[in-house]
Amino acid sequence: MRRETKRKVRKWMLVICLLVVACFYIYPVFLMVMNSFKPFGEIIGDVLAFPKSFDLSNYTYVVDKMKYLLLFRNNVIITVIGILGIVVFSSMAAFILERREGNYCKIAHTIIITPMLIPFQAIMITLLKSMNVLHLSGSKIGLGIQYWGFGIPMATFIIFNFMKTIPRELDESATIDGASTFRTFVSIIFPLLKSVIVTVIVLDVMWIWNDFLLPLLMVNSNNETKTLVLAAYTFVGQMNTKWNYALTAMVLAIVPSVIVFILLQKYIVEGVVAGAVKG
Amino acid sequence: MSRKAKRQLETVLFSLPAIILVCLMMYLPFVLSGYYSLTEWNGISKEARLIGLDNFKTIFVESGDFLSSIWFTTRYTVFFVIFSNIFALALAVALTKRFRAANFFRGIFFIPYIMSMTIVGFIWKFIFTSGFEKLYEITEWSLWNYSWLGDTKLVFYSVAFVGVWQSLGFYIVLYIAGLQAVPKDVLEAAVVDGATGRQKFFKVTLPLLGPSFTTCIFMSLTNGLKVFDIILALTKGGPGTATNSVTLQIYKEAFTNNNYGLGSAQSIVYFLFVLIITQLVLKGFSRKEVDL
Repeated sequence: MRRETKRKVRKWMLVICLLVVACFYIYPVFLMVMNSFKPFGEIIGDVLAFPKSFDLSNYTYVVDKMKYLLLFRNNVIITVIGILGIVVFSSMAAFILERREGNYCKIAHTIIITPMLIPFQAIMITLLKSMNVLHLSGSKIGLGIQYWGFGIPMATFIIFNFMKTIPRELDESATIDGASTFRTFVSIIFPLLKSVIVTVIVLDVMWIWNDFLLPLLMVNSNNETKTLVLAAYTFVGQMNTKWNYALTAMVLAIVPSVIVFILLQKYIVEGVVAGAVKG
Repeated sequence: MSRKAKRQLETVLFSLPAIILVCLMMYLPFVLSGYYSLTEWNGISKEARLIGLDNFKTIFVESGDFLSSIWFTTRYTVFFVIFSNIFALALAVALTKRFRAANFFRGIFFIPYIMSMTIVGFIWKFIFTSGFEKLYEITEWSLWNYSWLGDTKLVFYSVAFVGVWQSLGFYIVLYIAGLQAVPKDVLEAAVVDGATGRQKFFKVTLPLLGPSFTTCIFMSLTNGLKVFDIILALTKGGPGTATNSVTLQIYKEAFTNNNYGLGSAQSIVYFLFVLIITQLVLKGFSRKEVDL
């Protein structure tokens, strides 16, 4: 009995310690959100105090000034285009390269996955020039398409490894029944890839949605094509020390991802773990 | 068309889009970087002037900017790898204990990871300036009054700390996954054999966490070497060049100073630097993992 109580006390101590650590950990985020509801004078007066009144005027100002809805739409368009291409082209390549044999497959596989070793910043200068030539810079669709090239190596690698676990008898019997390769891929293989595709989507949505450097290089010149994070970066830069508007813009920039995370926590954490372990 | 030729054609058609896209976005710029690293080029003029290996001479002999950015990146990465792994492992161990709010806590620690790193940089800029100012007013501890972003020595710790803070949640969930994969029967066997709690952790759990260590250290290594957004938002590489990472240096060389040729040469050196370090670490680790 005494050992039991001792264990309980220790567990409570642990929970309390964790609670304290977690509060300190998340306090900066809390402080940002809280201050975004204050007028400028109150932030300067006392950063740590609660807002004196619940006031949304910062938000109405910033949403309007930043063209928040336009930015949100841009982000959705870019992310959707990026994800669609990555998923379709990577799963097609991973499927055929894992199933077929021969030198072509080995070489193609190496060509596709090797760029995982190239850090983006090592090619960004000449990338900008190449994309200007290909007319892929300066537009949302072009930016979305560029993510295909950057996302495919990792996605193909993950899906290729997963393909190994799908028994070959499945597609062989489909072929015997007269299904074409394309048909076999679409109706037999692709549905079986569901779990690994979810992993790829989670990783790539988090990456593309929050990406900063590529949009900075490609779509920064025009206000109509900016992404959420990019516009927030510019906006905070312009607001300099007007923290009330800057903080509001920051909150608005992260709110979509936080909401999605709260709703889909389980899937996101699972996807991130699976992606890291396989990648 | 013979059946074999048709199959071959299918193979090519299925894999070609991926190959073309990867070539356009990754190989083409990479090869171009190699070429432009041998030139003097301002990015605007049509012709780039070939100057041989002069850019590399500038990097290694004449100008210290790039080497000092390599040094900063190395220190940052070492700090980042060590502290994100230690804290993440400690918190992961605490969070795998069974209690009701465990999932809630995991969520809290994960939140900074899903936020954009640029915004994270701004949040801490706000905390380091306005937040600390108020804390000093209240407590009068000189800790809050240090110039955390203005002092060339302190700023390193500020930047590295924010880096760890942002991605801790990621490594926590990886370690949690690893801890949960440690087989229960092995731990029970250790208890039966009379192992204390501490022995159980250090002698059984830790060695079996090998794959998680490899993953986490490798991921934190590559992420540390690529640091960019946080520093740009927090300090822009300053004060002076105190927090100038390699990535930031390359960015400035090309897009601020318009030295595209020199920037390309720096890109190539950076690529080799990352490649060598990651391969060395990976080799070192693959030898040490313990199998059950």
